[in-house]
Amino acid sequence: MTALSPLEEFDLQRPTVEGGLALDEALLESICQGERRFGLIAWSSTDHALVMPRRHERLEGFPMARRALLDRGWPILFRSTGGTPVPQSPAVVNVALALRCRVGSSAAHLEWGYRRLGDPWCDWLASLGVQDADLGSAPGAYCDGRFNVRIAGRKLVGTAQRWRRVRGCKDMAMLAHGAMQVGETPEALVEVVNAFQDAIGDPQRFHAASHVALAQALPGLDLDSALPGLLERLAEAS
Amino acid sequence: MTTEITVPEDLWEGDTEGVITAWLVDDGAEVAQGDLVAEVMVEKAQYEIEAPVSGKLSIARAEDDVVAKGTTIARLEA
Repeated sequence: MTALSPLEEFDLQRPTVEGGLALDEALLESICQGERRFGLIAWSSTDHALVMPRRHERLEGFPMARRALLDRGWPILFRSTGGTPVPQSPAVVNVALALRCRVGSSAAHLEWGYRRLGDPWCDWLASLGVQDADLGSAPGAYCDGRFNVRIAGRKLVGTAQRWRRVRGCKDMAMLAHGAMQVGETPEALVEVVNAFQDAIGDPQRFHAASHVALAQALPGLDLDSALPGLLERLAEAS
Repeated sequence: MTTEITVPEDLWEGDTEGVITAWLVDDGAEVAQGDLVAEVMVEKAQYEIEAPVSGKLSIARAEDDVVAKGTTIARLEA
């Protein structure tokens, strides 16, 4: 059994994108193996990658699109949560929360998982002075869903989940992941996703106006000192 | 004896349909009880589907097929 308290993992880690995805997977697996019932990690990558579920590999034209993105300095990597392509870079902070829950208990599944991640995130933003943060869709945003953390309707945090059976019992392990754009401009990241759309021959394009970076909403925020407040809220809600 | 692999009724709330995003084993493969065999995505959430018993897998629904809760996606012949 791992005796680590989640509080011991509150430092923002700086892996590569590939390393960060491996951290998420290790966190979920530690719940599945019964090593702990709750865990939390935060990471921001040192490099760049466009990250998507592996099913995108089946798209016609994927090999060419992969080369085109690589030429732009954006290798494509795969993740285990759902959704569509998302850019990862030092301008994005990821927070993954994993916990063990009982299927059929009062803890509902999908929506509950998103609120378990998103509600404390909105509370944290409110504590920093953002009064119009909520959960919802952001039409025109890449990897849109019903449970983005939004500021004034614009997507700040994209969220996704993975569910896996805990070994040897009927409990489930849930990993809820949030990717928050903290720096750069939305245009810079939207451009990367649209380049993939173009390369894959998909006419859908995304709009920077549907996104917001934390630095735009809270200019001058010292993220290193503010981030532990988010992680504490996420831990306390369990 | 044939055992169906279905999308569990308790995986998510509501009537939203999911998509089979991946088969993790090949059609006709022998699998053991508890092996992960497929992934289903709904609302940006990936759920893993396990084999309920050991046996030879016969896939009934292909990758990218839309599925509702309770849908039979494969059969296992013990």
